[in-house]
Amino acid sequence: MIDILNKDTFLILDGGMGTMLQAMGLPLGGIPELWNLEAPEKITAIHKQYVDAGSDVVYTNTFGCNRLKMARTGKSVQELIAAAVRNARNSGAKYVALDIGPIGHMLEPTGTLKFEEAYDIFREQIEAGADADLIVFETMSDLLEVRAGLLAAREHGGGRPVFVTMSFEESGRTFTGCSISAMALTLEGLGADAIGVNCSLGPEELVPIVEELCRWTTLPVIVKPNAGLPDPVTNTYNFTPEKFAACIRPFAEMGAVVFGGCCGTTPAHIRAAASLLKTLAPVERHPQIPPAVCTANQTVTITEPRIIGERINPTGKKRFKQALMEHDIDYILNQAIQQIDAGADILDVNVGLPEIDETEMMVSAVKAIQGITDTPLQLDTTDPAALEAGLRIYNGKPIVNSVNGEEESLQTVLPLVKKYGACVVGLTLDKGGIPKTAEGRFRIAKRILDRALSLGIRREDVFIDCLTLTASAEQEGVMETLHAVERVKKELGLRTVLGVSNISFGLPSRELVTRNFLTMALYAGLDLPIINPNVESMTAAVRTYKLLANFDHNAVDFIAHYGGEQAAAPAPKPASGGTMELGAAIGAGLKSEAGTLTKAMLETTEPMVIVNEHLIPALDKAGAEFEKGKIFLPQLISAASAAQAAFEAIKAYLSANSTETVNRGTIVLATVKGDIHDIGKNIVKILLENYGYQVIDLGKDVPYEAVVEAAEKYHAPLVGLSALMTTTLPSMEGTIKLLNERCPWCRTVVGGAVLTPDYAEAIGADFYAKDAKETVDIAKKVFQN
Amino acid sequence: MKTPQAVDLPQAFHFMGMRGEPDVRMWETAKSCEQMLLAMVQPRFVYLVCPVTPAPEGIVCAGTTLILRGKDIAAHLSGCSRAVLMCATLSAGADAAIRKASAQDVLRGMMTDAMASALTEQVCDAAEREIMDTMPGVYSTWRFSPGYGDLPLETQGDFLRAVNAEKRLGVTLSESGLCIPTKTVTAVFGLSESPVSKGKRGCVICSMAEHCPYRKQGGHCYD
Repeated sequence: MIDILNKDTFLILDGGMGTMLQAMGLPLGGIPELWNLEAPEKITAIHKQYVDAGSDVVYTNTFGCNRLKMARTGKSVQELIAAAVRNARNSGAKYVALDIGPIGHMLEPTGTLKFEEAYDIFREQIEAGADADLIVFETMSDLLEVRAGLLAAREHGGGRPVFVTMSFEESGRTFTGCSISAMALTLEGLGADAIGVNCSLGPEELVPIVEELCRWTTLPVIVKPNAGLPDPVTNTYNFTPEKFAACIRPFAEMGAVVFGGCCGTTPAHIRAAASLLKTLAPVERHPQIPPAVCTANQTVTITEPRIIGERINPTGKKRFKQALMEHDIDYILNQAIQQIDAGADILDVNVGLPEIDETEMMVSAVKAIQGITDTPLQLDTTDPAALEAGLRIYNGKPIVNSVNGEEESLQTVLPLVKKYGACVVGLTLDKGGIPKTAEGRFRIAKRILDRALSLGIRREDVFIDCLTLTASAEQEGVMETLHAVERVKKELGLRTVLGVSNISFGLPSRELVTRNFLTMALYAGLDLPIINPNVESMTAAVRTYKLLANFDHNAVDFIAHYGGEQAAAPAPKPASGGTMELGAAIGAGLKSEAGTLTKAMLETTEPMVIVNEHLIPALDKAGAEFEKGKIFLPQLISAASAAQAAFEAIKAYLSANSTETVNRGTIVLATVKGDIHDIGKNIVKILLENYGYQVIDLGKDVPYEAVVEAAEKYHAPLVGLSALMTTTLPSMEGTIKLLNERCPWCRTVVGGAVLTPDYAEAIGADFYAKDAKETVDIAKKVFQN
Repeated sequence: MKTPQAVDLPQAFHFMGMRGEPDVRMWETAKSCEQMLLAMVQPRFVYLVCPVTPAPEGIVCAGTTLILRGKDIAAHLSGCSRAVLMCATLSAGADAAIRKASAQDVLRGMMTDAMASALTEQVCDAAEREIMDTMPGVYSTWRFSPGYGDLPLETQGDFLRAVNAEKRLGVTLSESGLCIPTKTVTAVFGLSESPVSKGKRGCVICSMAEHCPYRKQGGHCYD
């Protein structure tokens, strides 16, 4: 690796390329990359101006040079990038950096680009620019996209240095909400060589952002600001070179060491900055970075006890196992939301079951959970393949649960922890089992720590689990666990984890035992209790401890939860005062009442009787009123949601008591390829499920092939397709065509805002449904039930 | 720009196909969705003022690669020497809010989506006001968007590039031509030194008129 960065000197990058090209006549919206081939001498001349101005590094003219953005040029990424590197090299620059900007298509779940595709797009650019001396990603906004790029650079960049700069707004967040701490924790973990900021703001607005970044990373910090802010009328930037240079000084004083300019900066700006930097010396930084985990949008520091929610785990839970077997991601998401609402700071994710492909499920679950919450995750698996797959796509810095003192475990898990920059839970057990004494467990903890440190894992990223034993079986072991926690915390300076529920197994009043043990463990130094946060007394014990141990200053959090106002009064009960009918609860859209009433009815009534005599008639009534215009879509959906709660109670009952399920027929649903609107499809889904149909929901932006495969796999008699945009109607037609070829038994029903009955017929659909209610009527017809 | 303090809830309910007054529980659900949405969005906009001139292939926006094609936009900008190209977005936070609400339940998902649509209009109105405040004495037409009338939806790509929406707003185009984040609007409005006929947004040239659910019920999407 070339020694680009050294402690004694600043590294000077170049300034704006687009700015220079526009001054030479490139229109707004023109394609700068084409000039690499069409006007190579102009490009080299610009680079040369920067070299003359003092730039050590010039960025190739390849900001948007990826296969998606270049598709409309008719030129290949390879020829454009090769020419760009040549043009930069011809300037005589000390170092040539391969410049890579955002792909220009947003990744899932907000956009449609898959992580793996993004990785491959970057890989192609990196390989095409193999002759550059280093690789830079700039103007990045989406942390997940950066992760794809950085991984590609680490795996295909031949060991060349990789710099990453992201663009922040005044709020301290990028456009996609990524925070400064999340950027630093994640990218330093993944092995970037220098990180920093570029574009978006002028230098003055960047001061607090760079200050914060310097607190969160030990890496060299890059600052590459715009020349002020653009004027929307003249489209020019307003900082003179002198003003720009003056603004650079505070960054150097806070410890940034790599400088350049972005939009609106010219060789004159760089010259002014370079001459200022000659008068200064780099400032050494010694940031104290706290132990922390994060997602792109949320950082959780482990500087006080934090709750890890344990509920996403099939062990001992029939309903959860059933959800995994049915690939029911919504069920998992609900478990996630409930725990977060109850007070979980981090969620453990365990989706292992012998009957399923754990790797695939880990990826689906992590993607889905990260699509709806910002809470950091703990990936909990014993399968190294599932672990690596989860680590690859996790957006942020997760916890790995777990490694133990056995050689094989150390050798398999720790390199993955290091490569992906995760935190890790070390279990104090090894081949010999769990040592009986605190001393034995402490020794294993030390062994795990030493190995982690030798691989370059930060001390702050190692958490130790001293293992809770059952008090009923090994009463003398309880205090050993707590002593071990104390020693690991004090003598090794590590954070500690404990799953506490085990303590009370086999005893009466389990909650009492568990809660008291939890408090004792917190006092002994437990940082990360793994608990069921939905049990209020457990969460309350943690909150109370944090109050008493002076973590919750002025009891702000405690009072917010338990002080003053009582929780909102429950929804008013119907006037009759007595118990409500299930049908009435559904009609009124009362979700929790519908669930509670169903549970009560299940004690005396057959599940199918409840479905046929209560649920369905209530839905029919709501449907009829909807058709007559007496109620409207929100009320219909409200009723459907209440019916869903009733159905969930029935499902839980059935999976606990038998293998029988309610199934009037299987229907595959999808929003077609290219379309990401799924609200309408979700409404159809819930109504169909209410009526007892098994819905295989393929989600949105679904390829033709995936729809056909599902129709084949389930031999589905009916497939429902939704599209909201005129531009995605051809996808609907394509899907139907392939379905008709491959699944002649299958009928299709289509719907969506832009569809008409005539159009549905023209594209070969069997049915057109104007709304969700009509889809149910069509299903009844197709299944003749 | 600042996030509006409230969502235009009547408009959101209108988008949901609701007629009449929602009951108390429905309002409560709506208020809770509104709070979450407002906390998660970061509305922002960019604009560019450029001279516009009619040419055989369409309206040429000077200094950019953008050409606005079709007779409707030509009529809309007639008498205007300059136009504002504007792009406003609620940010990816709106999409995240809709996803989160949908995972909670379908009703909340639908409500949050409708509210985000209403909020996008509010943000566009505020952006337009802010832009026009910088040009006292200048008159403007109403906002005309790609996909409306015979201005092709395919205009979006050049439009976003002209205002540098990717770099300055984080707005991109999906392969199927959809702006992402989804709660994003691109619009052009003409500028003139003398009063211009504001005209009115109407159904006559709307490409959705044929199957518009609001029209079927005798209403409009914009009232």
